[in-house]
Amino acid sequence: MHTESWQSVGPSLDECIKCNICTSYCPVASVTDLFPGPKYAGPQSQRFRENGQPHSPDHSVDYCSGCRVCNEVCPTGVKIAEINARARAHMAAEEGIPLRNRLLGRNELLGKVGSIAPPLANFGLHNQLSRVLADKVFGIAQDSKLPRWPKGGTFGKWVKKTQDQRLKSDKKVVYYHGCGTMYYEPFIGQATVAVLEHNGYEVIVPPQNCCGLPLLSNGEFDEAEKYHDNNVNKLVGYARDGFDIIGTTPSCTLTLKEEAPELLDKHDADSTDLKMAVWDIFEWIRERWEEGDFRTDFRPINMILPYHAPCQYRAHRVGKPALEILQLIPELDVRESCARCCGSAGTYGYKKEKHLIAMAVGKELFDFVAVQGPGVTMTASDTETCRWQIELGTGLPSRHPIEIVAAAYGLYNLESRQLTN
Amino acid sequence: MLDLVVIGAGLSGLMAAYTAAQSGLTVRVINKGLGSMHWGAGTVDVLGYAPDAPEKPVQHPFTALANLVVQYPDHPYGLLSSDEIRAGLASFVALTEEIGLPYRGSAESDQNLFLPSPAGAARPVYLAPEAQSAGDLSRSEPMLIVGFKGMRDFFPDLIVQNLAKQGHQARSAFLPLSLVTDRIDANTVHLAEALDDLERRTRLGHELKKLVKIGERIGLPAILGMNDHSVVIADLERLSGVPVFEIPTLPPSVPGIRLYKALRSRLLELGVRIEAGMEVVSAEMTARHNGTPGSIQSVISATSARPYKHRAHNYLLATGGILGGGFNSDHTGHVWETIFDLPLTVPQDRSMWFASGFLSPTGHPIFHGGVVVNDVFQPVDGGKLIFSNLWVAGNILANADPILERSLEGSAIVTGIAAGKAIANL
Repeated sequence: MHTESWQSVGPSLDECIKCNICTSYCPVASVTDLFPGPKYAGPQSQRFRENGQPHSPDHSVDYCSGCRVCNEVCPTGVKIAEINARARAHMAAEEGIPLRNRLLGRNELLGKVGSIAPPLANFGLHNQLSRVLADKVFGIAQDSKLPRWPKGGTFGKWVKKTQDQRLKSDKKVVYYHGCGTMYYEPFIGQATVAVLEHNGYEVIVPPQNCCGLPLLSNGEFDEAEKYHDNNVNKLVGYARDGFDIIGTTPSCTLTLKEEAPELLDKHDADSTDLKMAVWDIFEWIRERWEEGDFRTDFRPINMILPYHAPCQYRAHRVGKPALEILQLIPELDVRESCARCCGSAGTYGYKKEKHLIAMAVGKELFDFVAVQGPGVTMTASDTETCRWQIELGTGLPSRHPIEIVAAAYGLYNLESRQLTN
Repeated sequence: MLDLVVIGAGLSGLMAAYTAAQSGLTVRVINKGLGSMHWGAGTVDVLGYAPDAPEKPVQHPFTALANLVVQYPDHPYGLLSSDEIRAGLASFVALTEEIGLPYRGSAESDQNLFLPSPAGAARPVYLAPEAQSAGDLSRSEPMLIVGFKGMRDFFPDLIVQNLAKQGHQARSAFLPLSLVTDRIDANTVHLAEALDDLERRTRLGHELKKLVKIGERIGLPAILGMNDHSVVIADLERLSGVPVFEIPTLPPSVPGIRLYKALRSRLLELGVRIEAGMEVVSAEMTARHNGTPGSIQSVISATSARPYKHRAHNYLLATGGILGGGFNSDHTGHVWETIFDLPLTVPQDRSMWFASGFLSPTGHPIFHGGVVVNDVFQPVDGGKLIFSNLWVAGNILANADPILERSLEGSAIVTGIAAGKAIANL
């Protein structure tokens, strides 16, 4: 267990002044009293979870969605979400992990299995009977939005198939696509490659693994550590050679940068070298743009676009770079959401007992989209589970901002989600 | 590049950001976390107690201010004329009208309001949210203070007893908390959000009508709606048939959060984003050299990996005092300003931090210290400008004890506006 050494997480709890600002902004506590709020489950209960204490005093910590809004608003810098994540791991170690949570923690494995025969997998997962069974037997919420395996195969398959057409250049970046792009949404990866190549970058797509976040969220720290070590082994060489490693899912990049090292106490040179080489794609693009090294030959996109920066993006503390870049596109009227969280928070919204909570949390965001008027045809958000949740809550399609940028370059069709050439 | 980066999202930082953005500057606000407004009562205190007469509250703040700045010319209020202070407060009132959260003062312009505190004391306040103004203790209607059985930290009996001791007519009553919420546990924010619900506030209004006698006014904890606050108050007054007012609660402060959220929306309309969770850890700067002031090239905040540089032509420091996080200290008694290491007037000897009594009428020296600025709110050392492009406002300023004086918000508003103007006028 990784609870012996606390590094910076543990001592931060002494900074808590009990002001309750976290509880006031916690999107989960605001809709249910099953979660009494970050202050109670976090710094307050933590006093009783110190080494030598037999049991976790407060099971309600399981209802923390891990959105990290508490960290964002805390005036004194307490790492509340990380305290809660450790407490969940502690509970999982003591009491075991339900099969459902083990499944949800393994999206890479699920993605791989489904990709063997997508039509069969889609039928198997998406028919009414399966969803009822999954709900009743495993506790996977029947109404939650599960992804589909695409007909055209994985992102990896596309990279291989199109390798002769890929740009070769002295300017190179490494792409960390994560599992969502690999197995469910290869078009996000295609749009990313198109945008990067348009800017003269050769895109290297190395072998990689799941970042381990779903396992961390479900308290399987030991398994998460294996994934993290694998990623470090596969990617640290690029980091050492000076390549930027850019990702399109902010929760994955957050895990590589900060969550895995902090929660798993991985502060070795390899983990740190990798951490410092990883960028969220728009964090990276903003830096290029500020240096005058990012093309803005955008075609106008005449639409209103409600944009939600995911809570896990905000946890990077880099501001809202995707918003800043989208605002450069002529005629695009980007409306910024101040909603705290879409509710999905990774795998949280898929759990039967939490699905309604997730939808109630998301209401703030769905309402924000609704008041932007009937002319809104799509929304944008950076993380896949957020997009799926926003689609579920608003009935409108949702896109990754990189798809919007690719479309503004004329390289991508936002309706069909296909490259134009 | 931005025109201005404001560090700190308290009242002074937001008012400076607003003032600068209104003048057409591009502004960003960054802050470590939320604070100040979420803790306070949501009122604007300008001067509640004069430092030389701390035993009696100030009745006429501007008369007292005129004396204060004569006695203490270094006081932050002393950097502004009386007209500038009045104009600053007037523009705050106009802003609150514009954002739908109007603030009211006494009918006389040089008169403090006296409003009941959550302990039933009389608080000297210059401006209050409209929802608190009917609590004005100079009004004659008797008060019915209504609490909810099971709600933490709000005790009508205590309030009533203390008000009675001061000669005010008041009685208490309780309603079940289930009128407001079905939760087993709820804080003030959850309760306020619950009363945004039409059905719940209608039920509450009917119950209040049963309790109240003709000619009374009703005081309730400050939980009367979050997003639909003005409608909630109007509904309760209509249904009960009498004036209704809020009494601030212990933190989290719903009136303060309403103000913060309304200001945030207004700033967003002006293109100013508040980026929370960004702790500034260092700055790129050149020091003063050969008679030339230094300058700031960027302020650097911590992220999930590499440092994030915020570059702007100008910077405003509004990080507050000890509680706000503008200062830090160590066990030796050393106290320092956390970002630019600006010189502080705080005693650097632990034994000198505090007066002998906890509630000492003279206050504690550590709260009196801070950053010394010139008349355009730029930090100086021995009268000499330290950085050409740095401004300072709010509770971090030296030579005032806003807690003792009850001048926290007033000083934050007028110094924030003044600094914002100084930057816009460059």
